[in-house]
Amino acid sequence: MAVFKINVNGQAHSVEAEPDMPVLWVLRDLLGLTGTKYGCGIGECGACAILVDGEDARGCQTPISDIGNKKITTIEGLAKNGLHPLQKAWIEHDVPQCGYCQTGHIMSAAALLQKTPNPTDAQIDEALGSHICRCGTYTRIKEAVKIAAKGGVK
Amino acid sequence: MSSLTRRTFLKLVGGVGASFALGTFTVACASPRGADAEALPDKGESFAPTVFLKIDPDGTCTMTISRSDMGQGVRTTFAMLVAEELDADWSKVKVTQAPGNSDVYGGQGTGGSSSTRTMNKTLRQVGAATRAMLVAAAAQQWKVDPSACKTEKGKVLGPSGQTLSYGELTTAAKAIPVPDLKSMKLKDRADYKIIGKATNRVDNTDVVTGKAMFGLDVHVDGMLYAACLRPPSFHGQSQQIDDSAARKVPGVVDVVPISSGVAVIGTNTWACLKGRDALKVDWSNANSGVSSETLRAALKQAVIEHKEMSGAKTLEANFELPYLAHATMEPLNAVADVRADSAEVWSGSQSPDGARDQIAEATGLSPEKVTMHTMILGGGFGRKFSNEWIGEAVNLSKHMKKPVKLLWTRECDMQHDIYRSMSEHALKAAIDAQGNPVGWSHQYLQAPGGGGGGGNYGNRTYLPYDFDNAFMRFGGISAPVPTGPWRSVEHTQIIVANECFVDEIAHAAGQDPFEFRRKHIKGDRLRKVLEMAAEKGNWGKPLPQGSGRGIACFDGYGSCIAHVVEVTVKGNQVKVDRMVAVVDVGTAINPRGVEAQVQGAFVDGISTSLKAAITVEKGGAVQNNWDGYEWARMTDVPKMEVYVADSGGGFGGMGEVGYPSGPPAIANAIFAATGKRVRKFPIKVEELV
Repeated sequence: MAVFKINVNGQAHSVEAEPDMPVLWVLRDLLGLTGTKYGCGIGECGACAILVDGEDARGCQTPISDIGNKKITTIEGLAKNGLHPLQKAWIEHDVPQCGYCQTGHIMSAAALLQKTPNPTDAQIDEALGSHICRCGTYTRIKEAVKIAAKGGVK
Repeated sequence: MSSLTRRTFLKLVGGVGASFALGTFTVACASPRGADAEALPDKGESFAPTVFLKIDPDGTCTMTISRSDMGQGVRTTFAMLVAEELDADWSKVKVTQAPGNSDVYGGQGTGGSSSTRTMNKTLRQVGAATRAMLVAAAAQQWKVDPSACKTEKGKVLGPSGQTLSYGELTTAAKAIPVPDLKSMKLKDRADYKIIGKATNRVDNTDVVTGKAMFGLDVHVDGMLYAACLRPPSFHGQSQQIDDSAARKVPGVVDVVPISSGVAVIGTNTWACLKGRDALKVDWSNANSGVSSETLRAALKQAVIEHKEMSGAKTLEANFELPYLAHATMEPLNAVADVRADSAEVWSGSQSPDGARDQIAEATGLSPEKVTMHTMILGGGFGRKFSNEWIGEAVNLSKHMKKPVKLLWTRECDMQHDIYRSMSEHALKAAIDAQGNPVGWSHQYLQAPGGGGGGGNYGNRTYLPYDFDNAFMRFGGISAPVPTGPWRSVEHTQIIVANECFVDEIAHAAGQDPFEFRRKHIKGDRLRKVLEMAAEKGNWGKPLPQGSGRGIACFDGYGSCIAHVVEVTVKGNQVKVDRMVAVVDVGTAINPRGVEAQVQGAFVDGISTSLKAAITVEKGGAVQNNWDGYEWARMTDVPKMEVYVADSGGGFGGMGEVGYPSGPPAIANAIFAATGKRVRKFPIKVEELV
């Protein structure tokens, strides 16, 4: 076991963990941040997407020892105040079905919009094409990303 | 104790077959932390004439949802049904989830698209009765006749312009006798204000902020974590366990053999997963010779002579469908806290009332000592009925004398599913000189874990058409593979084969497959959705070389649907370009939810037509994660247009309805594009005939 000082959603935390523990389980089991989901454990589904220094990352493929001084953002810290434009678009456009994969989709979409404020269909496909939504909400996900990109829900 | 002395019982009609406790029943919160718990202020003045609805002095109407929400949106539709007859202010409606308890809530099994069909009347009656009590309370205060009062958006309006909100009436309404629910006059469709309105899901905000509580998100103080190593074959047993390395993994607390494998208990999930990987286990395997190939060969052997038929022309075709995993996005999990005199479980189950009984049996406690919290389900699709994961968590908690959170890893979940059976379909038909079907035989052969079924021909053919001399035979073989229901159940197989073959008959008869279906469909509802789908889907308009358009339809669960699908075939690649679906659910409670279900079910259709299959080797599943069991992703999904064409009838089922005609519409479109027929799912271009 080792002690890691990490920054999650702007807050400093000190956690005791095995160096190979994926950030997914650090967040869920050690910090109680359960908005980041386990879906496959092999980086195939995107349910555990988080931001590491603003970059789209898979929580299940990122060991805690790789984090260092990098800042982690999870769904719980995505919005600075109230709701992020993507969250608003998701609600308004009624995207979720079971909802389990949605936080991962939103985090990857947030990484996309940060770099590409007005993404094309192909850019959205590229950013979210590695995710799985088992309920098949892809059409509404894509539409919600576009709504958020266009200035969001009125 | 006034709440107990007021407690009476009210008999309800319908398929529920249970009584519902009246009185100020306090609904247990659904989770130790989370949004649901906060939605339940327990003030003395709350008015709760039935277990399904509570109104607080601030006007909040909390609907208790008795069926499980796995994405089909029942928490929203049930609330809409109550709110409609209550004339509630929708902005003040909240929902909370009922714990598993059929004594209080009636049957809670959630599947077969049955929730709305069995519960809509009861829920509307609850809304109407509660509204009547609020009106009576207001009328008493105003000294007017209740019939002179109206209700609107959470308020009672008096004849001379008086207004009292429902929140202001909670105390007075408690003194009004509860009317007989069956005597309630329900609204005419024309008066609906909430039913039929596109409505967003009640859980959206919790979901997108990460606050929604799935079973896997539950935390109980002092709990341990558990994950299992399970055998590579379906019914393997551990023979010899070397857990020395596993026990050395930091955080591992114990290694416990269970009937379905070996559980590693730890202080966090990662410790359990590493401990699991460090286990060395010898497994028995009595079925090492069993594979998809041997089972397929046995199924083909089970095909017998078709019923005799004669006509100007006969045609035959066989279809092969594979085992399918449910692969719910949230894998199976449960948190169990078993104590000497009580047991509490948090899990997503499609049978929470059944789970409560199973927990009672496993612990030896009476059901009254068991609390089964139903969490929202990260997908169900039929997988979450059997509750065996709950039994495992309960046994582990009992053994460890601590709360335990059990996670089925994706590998456990996919390799130890209760699969949709593989099937073989042998079809034969005869047409007369005019192209009218004069004989139909469909042998539906499955390879289920629980036995191969009967085998006699019967008249139930699942055909919505007027074909003469139509028969169907159910049969198959017994396989050492666990099987059970999967979204749309038997229709995932029967309708797929039927609708592919009907297309072939139409072509053999020299008729357009849409016109052929239209001519032979027996029911007006199905004919109308078919006609509308053809129109919306530009049936008959030419497509470029290499592209094709297919049609199929389905009538079941009280609803009707037709699909028109366009595909392009390039080399060995099939791309679905467009999907048009027209659906008639009688009266759509939430058209936005209907659209979501039809879109989602068609994504299942794309996935199972073009990608996903579970293959069996050495008595076990080959695929163990999404890299082998491929599901449709964003890039596989076309434009999907859904038209809700209500016939105005009763409330039809929805969850299953969108699947069955999707895959055959894709297969028929591939024929239109290539001139070749599909005989095997998932479809591979090189296997077309």
